[in-house]
Amino acid sequence: MTWGSAVFVVSTVTALLGALAAVGMRNIFHNILGFAVAMLGVSGLFLTLGADFLAFVFILVYVGAVAIAMVYAVMLSQPLDQPPRPRSRLKILGSALVAGTGGFTIWELLRFAPWKAPGPPLRDSASAAGFRFLSDYVLAFELISVLLVVAMMGAVMIARRRPPAEGR
Amino acid sequence: MSLLQYLSVTALLFGAGLYGLLQRRNLVAMLIALELMLASVSIAVMALTTYAGGDTSVGLVVALIIAGVAAAETAIALSLFVVIQRSTHSIDVEQLSELKG
Repeated sequence: MTWGSAVFVVSTVTALLGALAAVGMRNIFHNILGFAVAMLGVSGLFLTLGADFLAFVFILVYVGAVAIAMVYAVMLSQPLDQPPRPRSRLKILGSALVAGTGGFTIWELLRFAPWKAPGPPLRDSASAAGFRFLSDYVLAFELISVLLVVAMMGAVMIARRRPPAEGR
Repeated sequence: MSLLQYLSVTALLFGAGLYGLLQRRNLVAMLIALELMLASVSIAVMALTTYAGGDTSVGLVVALIIAGVAAAETAIALSLFVVIQRSTHSIDVEQLSELKG
């Protein structure tokens, strides 16, 4: 077993176990921690694909996302010492059925498509992405910055507490 | 590693995220499941551009754009959660029945 495939196996197991914890466990904190573990696995998969820049971006972005999600979970969720309402078995079965069918369909669609041999591994991926972003994809790059500004301002506007006299 | 192995991981992660999105009631947990699905799509894009020939840096660009859109979507979703919590005192989706006829 080469180094690359060992990293692939470890990352896959980490990502899948983290994803199971993120969706399966009852405690919202365990979900968030499982999500962080899953993102570490995903970053490992990016490393095996040669996209080291993307792997580090994912770790940075999602560590921040995890911290924010924790704050929101503390602020908004119902207290953990209260007994949770029982889960509906029908909903669990239906969700498992839909998710299983969906995942299987994707896999079946992808399985029979003809693929070429792997291209050359990405070298110096940060500068490659930067070059692309400022040449061919400059419109997408600028639109993302506008989108982020609009989303931040919109988030502030939505969450702002309006004074009662002002109304709508 | 083959492309099929990467795509299998992608399908499994996507399925797990879809299950969480459908089954959980806590809105923060549903948001986490949605992020898992977006991450699985990013892996698929990277694997496909690496293994289908052509320019691999295009996959990197697409994955970074997905991450940017996900960040914007998370910001809006969290501010909506604050408003929902303020009006219904819960972030349980099954309590959000005001528009039910």
